[in-house]
Amino acid sequence: MKYEVFARVNQGDDTIHIGNVTAKSDRLAKVYARNTFNEEDWDRLAVVREDQLLDVTGEAKPTVEVGTQ
Amino acid sequence: MSDWPDPAVDYVQAITDTKILLGQRYAQWSLAGPSLEDDIGGASAAQEEIGHVRQLVRELEGQGRDADWLNGDRDPEEFANASSLDRIDGEWPEYLASIAPADRAAWYMLDAIDRDDLDGLITKIGEDEYFHLEYHDARLETLAAEYPERIQATLEETLPQALALIGPAAHDESADPVYDTGFTDRSTAELREAFADHYRELFADTDVSLEAVDWDAPPIEEWDETRRRADGGAVSEEDVTQISGKQNELFAMN
Repeated sequence: MKYEVFARVNQGDDTIHIGNVTAKSDRLAKVYARNTFNEEDWDRLAVVREDQLLDVTGEAKPTVEVGTQ
Repeated sequence: MSDWPDPAVDYVQAITDTKILLGQRYAQWSLAGPSLEDDIGGASAAQEEIGHVRQLVRELEGQGRDADWLNGDRDPEEFANASSLDRIDGEWPEYLASIAPADRAAWYMLDAIDRDDLDGLITKIGEDEYFHLEYHDARLETLAAEYPERIQATLEETLPQALALIGPAAHDESADPVYDTGFTDRSTAELREAFADHYRELFADTDVSLEAVDWDAPPIEEWDETRRRADGGAVSEEDVTQISGKQNELFAMN
């Protein structure tokens, strides 16, 4: 499963997307993220399952069906 | 720096030698993992183990141990590493099930040391070890689902070897030579129990059975108190040559 990785350097900073990891469990994903993105002393490092992201745009653009009777 | 009791010097030597071999095995397998994430994790753990070794070697030098000897200029039979790390036969599942118990055992032993002058070092090592052990457990969970027979067969061999590193069951609060000196705040028997409980819980809901593991190993009469093992054996000459760096000492920066 693919996980998106988010982080911030300082408390109060924006939490930004820094990459992704592929893992077989949530527990593994957290360790992989720590090992892969350990170039900073992060204040917060988090992973989100890709299927948990709620698309606002990026997929087919939403349209409003209009009846033509 | 105050002198440690002799049993305590051997105790820290066994932790250090186990970490030397952990660094070696992590490095050897760091390009053989099933995913890029596993490779990065292995390479990262190798660096951290070698960092721990550098600090522990400094402490052992302070207790009178020779620097060259500590850094690998010695016979294979003089290494006191967990015997599960002598060699790793097999593939990724066997590798994971060999290194994980040894790394956990070495950490339990370090965590039990009760010395103010080592507190900072042990806390720092613990920050790294949290992620090593978390990784091992998470990976063992997935491997237990995919290859239960192979994980079980390897653990039946490597868990008793890790228990031998911790020490014999007979070393309880009334008979543990390291605990008796006050160097540790938990007896070998207590560490063994925590170690066994951890793995029983980890595999409780999996197809890996630990019923056949010899949780009482090693017999105290067969246990070597210096090398903290009961089954003889040693790392290979080739491993020692690599660990000592002798073949590449020409390139050392002075």
